[in-house]
Amino acid sequence: MKKTILALALVAITGSLFAQKKTTTSATVAFDASTAIDALPKAENKTVVAALDAKAGTVAFEATVKNFAFTNPTIQEHFNGEKWLNSDKFPTFTFKGNILDASKVNFAKDGTYNTNVEGTLSVKGVEQKVKAPATIVVKSGVVTATSNFSFKLADFGITGAPIDGGKVAKEPKVTVSAEFK
Amino acid sequence: MIPLKKKNPWKKRILLTVLALILIGAGIYWYVATEKFADTNDREAAYTVNALDFIREFHDNDSAANAKYRDKIITVNGTISAIEPADSSTVNVKFIDTTTSSYVIFAFQEQHAAEAQTLKEGDVVSIKGSCSGGTFSEILGVEKIDFKRSALNKDKK
Repeated sequence: MKKTILALALVAITGSLFAQKKTTTSATVAFDASTAIDALPKAENKTVVAALDAKAGTVAFEATVKNFAFTNPTIQEHFNGEKWLNSDKFPTFTFKGNILDASKVNFAKDGTYNTNVEGTLSVKGVEQKVKAPATIVVKSGVVTATSNFSFKLADFGITGAPIDGGKVAKEPKVTVSAEFK
Repeated sequence: MIPLKKKNPWKKRILLTVLALILIGAGIYWYVATEKFADTNDREAAYTVNALDFIREFHDNDSAANAKYRDKIITVNGTISAIEPADSSTVNVKFIDTTTSSYVIFAFQEQHAAEAQTLKEGDVVSIKGSCSGGTFSEILGVEKIDFKRSALNKDKK
């Protein structure tokens, strides 16, 4: 009997621990490198995998580079090309990081929590540390996390005439949004 | 008597050539700047596949499957495993192989977002989209295949 209770308790604890990690396969990442000269270099990827571990205070996402949908075919071709993202060789953007003040976020209580996220962004096989503000909204057990940041293309080895000529922003804006149920 | 000044025919030719080049350049720029992706429903699919067979092909050898399907328009037939909201106005449709948890996911083209909203889990559908290829998700530990600019394939071809 004792063994049964112990086993049930273990299952319950394990289940509770696993429940701390939430994932989604429909997070969105918007990429905006438009400038005053050219409004076309912007796109959105709506099938991004994201994870949030409330207990560990960690966040992560993976975005398939080729699934950024541009309105313009030529710009999309350039974006995926060898000089830009070289998506045949480097098929994903990834981010792995921590919520800096995770203890201030109560994932069990409805509310809006402004925080910061810090971690490693990997683009075109180059890893760089990034830090960005993030907003976490908890409502009826659903956690929605959003973050806006920008990064220097040159830091990831992305250069070229369109960037130097002002047709593509040197520091594109990135917006990440994920809903965890 | 003042001699008539002879016109240089080359000046006119050079001027016309420059003008033609400017017009061609402007035309190319206008074409590139205003070019848009066609409606996926109007495009011909390179392959028509069964969802589970398609997922297994990627799961078994994603290099070969990527070489075959990536950057092509593919029609995928199957039973919807899940509908997921991507944002307030759009949903993604998933087919999942329950034996491996690997999946294929479709983000819809703007003009087809409304028809995606009418779908529900268990519906047998035919979806046409631009295949972005398959990658192994380190987060989920499964193979995932992404599609963009998808549409319900009304012709069922």
